Amino acid sequence: MGGIGFAGKFLHVDLTKASCSDFTLDDATMKKFMGGSCLAAKIFLDRYPVDLDPLAPESPFMIMTGPMVGSGFPGTSRFSICAKSPQTGIWGESACGGNFGPELKRAGYDGIVIDGRAASPVYLSLTDDHVQILEASHLWGKDIYETTDILKEKDTSLKVLTIGQAGENKVLIAAVGNDKGHFSGRTGLGAVMGAKNLKAVVARGSGKLGKADEDGYKQAFRDAIQEVKDSALADGLHQMGSDANMDLGMVTGDVPIKNWTVGEAFDLSSSLSGPTMKEKYLTKAHACANCPVACKRVVKVDEGPFRTQEGPGPEYETCGTFGTMMMNPDLAAVIKANELCNMYGMDTISCGSAIAMAMELYEKGILSKTDVDGIDLTWGNMDAVMVLIRKIAFREGFGDVLAEGSVKAARKIGKDAIDTVVAVKGLEAPMHDPRGFHGMGLAYMMSNRGACHLQHAVLATEQGMASWPELFDMKDDYVGTTSVGKAALVYNSENYGILGNSLSICHYLVDILKPETILAAFNAITGWNLSSQDLLKAGMRDWTLKRGFNNLLGITVKDDKLPKKLLTALEEGGGAGSVPDVELLLKEYYALRGLDERGYPKKEMLVELGLDELKDRLYT
Amino acid sequence: MAKVKALTQEWMDAYKAAIVADPDYKQIAKDWEGSVALVCNADPDKGVPETIYLFQDYWHGDVGEFVVCDKAKAESAKFVMTGDYSRWKQVALKELDATKALLQGKLKMKGDLPYVVRNIKTVNKVIDILGKFDTQWPDDPA
Repeated sequence: MGGIGFAGKFLHVDLTKASCSDFTLDDATMKKFMGGSCLAAKIFLDRYPVDLDPLAPESPFMIMTGPMVGSGFPGTSRFSICAKSPQTGIWGESACGGNFGPELKRAGYDGIVIDGRAASPVYLSLTDDHVQILEASHLWGKDIYETTDILKEKDTSLKVLTIGQAGENKVLIAAVGNDKGHFSGRTGLGAVMGAKNLKAVVARGSGKLGKADEDGYKQAFRDAIQEVKDSALADGLHQMGSDANMDLGMVTGDVPIKNWTVGEAFDLSSSLSGPTMKEKYLTKAHACANCPVACKRVVKVDEGPFRTQEGPGPEYETCGTFGTMMMNPDLAAVIKANELCNMYGMDTISCGSAIAMAMELYEKGILSKTDVDGIDLTWGNMDAVMVLIRKIAFREGFGDVLAEGSVKAARKIGKDAIDTVVAVKGLEAPMHDPRGFHGMGLAYMMSNRGACHLQHAVLATEQGMASWPELFDMKDDYVGTTSVGKAALVYNSENYGILGNSLSICHYLVDILKPETILAAFNAITGWNLSSQDLLKAGMRDWTLKRGFNNLLGITVKDDKLPKKLLTALEEGGGAGSVPDVELLLKEYYALRGLDERGYPKKEMLVELGLDELKDRLYT
Repeated sequence: MAKVKALTQEWMDAYKAAIVADPDYKQIAKDWEGSVALVCNADPDKGVPETIYLFQDYWHGDVGEFVVCDKAKAESAKFVMTGDYSRWKQVALKELDATKALLQGKLKMKGDLPYVVRNIKTVNKVIDILGKFDTQWPDDPA
């Protein structure tokens, strides 16, 4: 399959033995599992026991691209980092934009599977098929920005993936950064790199990837560019970044406030919004490789206590966790917190959520000032937040408690602290409130990496950013605060949206482009000539494979639930008086997804999807 | 009360009166500056033989000129919203949220998008009022 769509081989690295070798997968496997996190889950299940400690040397850490990566098609700069999550103990994955994915393929590899543990810090270098494991003691202890600069000193064309101090310290919410501006944040996979003594992976390649149908591709590319030009969503993302959602979401009840306890705060959204960021701190927009949208923000805070260097600006999620969630109206402080998390290498959703939880516990007296190392954790005290971010990254004092993520931290704190946490299957929820959008509640319950807005397209379909009636039966306009009809919407939006993580295409472009345009490009690149229904079936297989992975680890129906806070109605805002009807949502969803009463995929569903080996493991 | 024929000057007058009469509008729209044009594309099969241009002037909670106009005047507005007749009707009848219609490409907007996002409460209020008086649509049964 090499040369058309794919580089044609994968790299296996055993850090214990300091050995590297290439391997290939047969065409049938590639067509079935495609790439990205879906193929990673298949490789994990085929080659490793699932009950490994995520931080054990034997546990694999994978960097995977997809069939469209490197093609130049809009949104296909992405790659997925996958492993068993040290934060949640189940399937872990985190996709990332930037430029590493295309470079990895140009260097000759569709993905990298790394196991073992180096005796001392190392980094992995791939330059046009030349693979080296190199000594990295001089990089250990340095943050992501400095490490990236050092690795690029001699060759600025290198694309860098690296961890910061949080990953080195095996902080369970540690992220992996690509060239300073792009991050795989969720599920703590930076800690897996740290546990392997693997500081960084760098790539540079000059290979070219062929396409099965160059003319067909060119037409799909032209269509895609025109669709981006015509899209108000693309325009909004370019002008305001993902934080365009702050103003809109405050009206609809999407934005969590004061650790999910308040339903409306327009003064906060106004000061933290995308337009405000543009007016006060934006220096330029930035794009991932080959992206015509350019939603990334480059910002700088010139003065005041939260001065920053010019660098990547916060996404909407970060403006939520370090803004509304903490009752902080100061966008400069959010930008500073984002910079610190980026440098130390931590997920801003988990880190901000954990600190917001601590603020609530501090207000309630469950945490005393002594418990938190003398820090005043009053709502909105952003000086304290900056101190705490560092303490988490270095596992110092109370930071060591929060370094485990909100759920484990709350369990350690005790005294009903767990009731203040909004997480599913161990992962803190992103900044979209299911009380305003019930479908998102179901999506959180059923996402295979824990509460997530990027394992599906529910955010786009339920909130009306995208409508694909040609793809599956759906309406243009859904009422957020009802659970009726949402199971089918979530099921279908998962089957389509999850492809973003196997084809490795940006979720925003999945929302912006017509499904037929993406399909045309996909077929022109691969030559596979799949139908849209084939793609939806691939999405079903992807979801079911990862569900089976989690079932093998003990995940059942008892884990498909929402936390107490999300089942407690708010008094004001777009979601006022409303909570998801969990019983209805799960009943309808289980039937659609073919899950039995335990929450296992039924045998006939596994057979229909060609997952016979998984069936044998689940039903022995 | 008789229904008002949609997309006519009579309808614009009724719309303006409803906005002025709304107890919350003035406060919500206190920061809004500038005119808005609504362009309804022709749809002869639905009783809209020619494209209709509507001009509305808003200023810090006050409502100014509200007229059926020509293309040139519509295009002079600070914001120009364009859509097919059936989409505008869906929006007015609250079958399709205007923001969602914009994001899905069912309505097009020319103008400063961040300004609209920042003032989304004003936009939503004006659209909410649009559905509050009885309207006779061109393709409704007589």
